[in-house]
Amino acid sequence: MSGHHISSAKFLWGVAIALFILTFLTVAVTWIHIPGPWNVVVAIAIAVVKALIVSAFFMNLYWDSKFNVLLFVMSIAFFLLMIGITLLDTLYRTDPLPSF
Amino acid sequence: MSQTSSTEEKLDHLKHYFVDSDQQFEASKMGMWVFLVTEILFFGGLFVAYIVYRSWYPELYLLASEELDTFWGAVNTAVLIGSSLTVAMAIRSAQLNQIKGLIINLWITIGLACTFMVIKYFEYSEKFAKGILPGSAYSYEGVEHEKANIFFSIYYMMTGLHGIHVLIGIGLMVWLVFKAKKKVFHSGYYTPVEITGLYWHLVDVIWIFLFPLLYLID
Repeated sequence: MSGHHISSAKFLWGVAIALFILTFLTVAVTWIHIPGPWNVVVAIAIAVVKALIVSAFFMNLYWDSKFNVLLFVMSIAFFLLMIGITLLDTLYRTDPLPSF
Repeated sequence: MSQTSSTEEKLDHLKHYFVDSDQQFEASKMGMWVFLVTEILFFGGLFVAYIVYRSWYPELYLLASEELDTFWGAVNTAVLIGSSLTVAMAIRSAQLNQIKGLIINLWITIGLACTFMVIKYFEYSEKFAKGILPGSAYSYEGVEHEKANIFFSIYYMMTGLHGIHVLIGIGLMVWLVFKAKKKVFHSGYYTPVEITGLYWHLVDVIWIFLFPLLYLID
């Protein structure tokens, strides 16, 4: 258990600069018009990398107890389950609900 | 983690039902992570709505997102990443017993959070003026799609719920500043700073997904 990890100021700035660069990158890839659905895949991939950087190095999961990592991973797993089960219904309807 | 520094250990914060300060800290942090799990699933429902409607009306999302200004969305992303940095710096200051640095970093974070909300205010009011309102109040003619109001209802729900979280975050950090000024926090006790930081980073992570999903479709 190392709940009191102290990051150096230089390290925190480095993390933020990496996030700024990835933000620029996610905007820049829209200028070259990647054909769909790859544009969505690229946008989500960059967002996932950014989210992993924030959770590992700003939220300190990298140094934290494994149980907190487990909580975070399980919430993502159940979120994906929610998407998956919902899409199994909505993608295979012959007609979407008419009033929505 | 034994404290071998010259200052004697301050234990005013320690509740009698914890073995020691570290156990209390770990318990609080775990509790916060459980709360963040519920937050992820709370926003998750809205992301599912986004995905379902995008799979039904992909062309609507392409058309309607042109009403959103990528520039201001990108600025707000940078503002939130900057505020995540200053929150991390605030925690670092607290860990090093630099209470002045803690207060300064909290104020910068509050300033950045307010900047985010001001930009959001201008984005919203520009849309309200055009008649881009959620649900049945929608009266804008500029998006040629019969379901145009659905995209903007999802937009208002997602960014609105996120905005409420930013406002709550501002409130929490003002509270932390007052606590810090009363000399409550020191290197042996900074739990509220740590868990408010976790909350703030999660708000940042959610915006990291909202920005490409809403602003960057084209």
